[in-house]
Amino acid sequence: MLEVHRLAKRYGEVLAVSDLSLSVRAGTILVLLGQNGAGKTTAMRCMSGLLKPSAGRVLVGGVDSLADPDAVRAQVGMVPEVPGLYERMSARAYLDWFGRVYELDDMTRARRISDLLELFQLSEAADRWLGTFSKGMRQKIALIRATMHWPRLVLADEPTSALDPDSARVAWGYLEGLRAGGAALVVCTHNMEEAQVLAGEIGVMARGRLLATGDLNALAHAAGLKRHRQVVERPTLEEVYLAIVGNQEEDEARPA
Amino acid sequence: MKLDRRKAFLVAERDFRDAAGDLRLVLAMVGLAAVVPIVAGTGIRALAYYGGGVSLLVQRVSIVGAFFVVFLPASYSLVLALESFVGERERSTLEVLLSTPLREAEIYAGKVASVLGISLVLCFGALLVYCGVTFPGLGYFPAGILVSLAVSTICQVAAMVTGAVIVSANAKTMRAANVMASFIILPMSIVLQLEAALILVDRGELLWGFAAAMAIGAAILLRMGLGGFSREALLARETGSRNRLRRAARAVAAAYRQAPSGLALVRARSVPVLSSLVAFPVGAGLGYLAAGILPGQVMRPVLGTLLASAAGTDPAGLAVAIFLHNLLAIVLAGLLAGVSLGFTGYLLTALPGALVGYAAAVSSWGLALTGILPNGLIEVPVAAIAGGLAINIGAAVIHLEPDGGWTRRVLGAQAELAKALLWMVPLLAVAAVLEAFLSPGR
Repeated sequence: MLEVHRLAKRYGEVLAVSDLSLSVRAGTILVLLGQNGAGKTTAMRCMSGLLKPSAGRVLVGGVDSLADPDAVRAQVGMVPEVPGLYERMSARAYLDWFGRVYELDDMTRARRISDLLELFQLSEAADRWLGTFSKGMRQKIALIRATMHWPRLVLADEPTSALDPDSARVAWGYLEGLRAGGAALVVCTHNMEEAQVLAGEIGVMARGRLLATGDLNALAHAAGLKRHRQVVERPTLEEVYLAIVGNQEEDEARPA
Repeated sequence: MKLDRRKAFLVAERDFRDAAGDLRLVLAMVGLAAVVPIVAGTGIRALAYYGGGVSLLVQRVSIVGAFFVVFLPASYSLVLALESFVGERERSTLEVLLSTPLREAEIYAGKVASVLGISLVLCFGALLVYCGVTFPGLGYFPAGILVSLAVSTICQVAAMVTGAVIVSANAKTMRAANVMASFIILPMSIVLQLEAALILVDRGELLWGFAAAMAIGAAILLRMGLGGFSREALLARETGSRNRLRRAARAVAAAYRQAPSGLALVRARSVPVLSSLVAFPVGAGLGYLAAGILPGQVMRPVLGTLLASAAGTDPAGLAVAIFLHNLLAIVLAGLLAGVSLGFTGYLLTALPGALVGYAAAVSSWGLALTGILPNGLIEVPVAAIAGGLAINIGAAVIHLEPDGGWTRRVLGAQAELAKALLWMVPLLAVAAVLEAFLSPGR
């Protein structure tokens, strides 16, 4: 579903993403871990057709994002880090408007909005202005907005960072449902629990580069082999992540 | 450019609902659009009642009042346009909008249409209220001027909105956008004063010229805005804005290094150079025609003074004066090319042409053309090349591209003129010496 081949993105003198290659099949989830400024958001913007790659290629459902970015965006659901809601619209009107943008017919739109608001326990707040919503409620609305048109590729940047544990589990369940329905998902997060719950595959990014990908065992293996570092018998994802990023920093600090 | 009108309408509808959703904002806009015309109209009626009837003063002030009451709601268009673009960017809603399948042209057209629609409804509403309060029973109704005002208002609001969109696309915060918006509101207020002055001196027919100029300005700004409104420019610029001064200095140096010179430059810019050259005979024709309109008692003393001062100077001093005059003209044309959108490039050849034409009208073409020989053989081509490069600067200023690069292109165009001065200056010096020592009548 998503093929990224040697992607690079440069903003003036800043190389935000460099030589990034990855592949996400339909019905799978890739979780991207990385520090702030690691290039995750820029990579996702390039994958969604929002930004043009400075080098390399992004294919979504076989469509090249440079050749037809409109068609790429039509297949993508993007959940940015900041929900970015229109404060003076009710939740229902807001979702209805985006449903029209995504060309859902009237009946489908109404049913889908109603179902998703109920799933995320927002039915009672549906006719309130979004400006009155809490941070967590906003994040739920952003998630609904990005996925209400059944996108084939979901790109989510910290989708549950403002949610309480119960709501986060509902969101994870919903994302898992999208995956089971055949969508490909790329989720950026700092939440290790979220990563472990969601991920079939995990990618670790630092300074614009993808350092390692694979499941937890593969990542632990990569982190341990790299420096013969002592890895505890059953490492947690957090330990593996810190080992990989630590190795990278040591590599960069060492004189050539 | 592909544009689905239905989707553009969808964007316009949402923006309209957003603007109309804030009751306090609506009350303020409608209130000002209604109260000010009522107060102004009542004042005019009081002036007529207590001032001894519908005098010429009352008639003209009533028309100036119409311009005033329309300008206030027109200025709202700036606020709405800035809010619609940079406001959304500041609240991170623009990224969400940009992540949808909507094309840039649809988002741009929808937003511009929404702001234009609201502003024009307010403007024409204010005008109707004003006319309803002011003119009934006064015994006159300046329909012609009010129609030109209505047309001029559409163009004026369009120019302000499209200008504000460009400001928005280049500002990250509302505060920066508000400061940059001064570059729109101040020229517009000057236009309003000029229009008022024309009405007071009873030259209302010239308002159509203002409307035409505004329409051209709006079309240029609309094209610029559409060209520069892109996802790449709006999202990538946020992180690509470090070390601007250093990057600008590097860009200047690179532009100067890369600019072609000599014949290569003339070949590369042949279209603007030729159009500047064409302005010379056009100017000559206009100068010739102007001789029949401008009264001789105005022009002859001016020309006489110029000739007398030239005759009284020693040739070496005259050569220096001519050289500096020509050099200054080229430098000024280049410096002002950006703000005049390249118009100074045409003036550089059209004005000398107009002088030749005027001289031909009061003498003969043979005499007038002989007067600019042999120095004109150098000066006119140099002026045409410099004019062409100034036109090119103006073209670079009004040309925005989705991938950015505006600064680089403008600096490049200016570097071309600066580099061309290296060989233009000696040519101007030679022309000045020829004119001072060899031209007829010296």
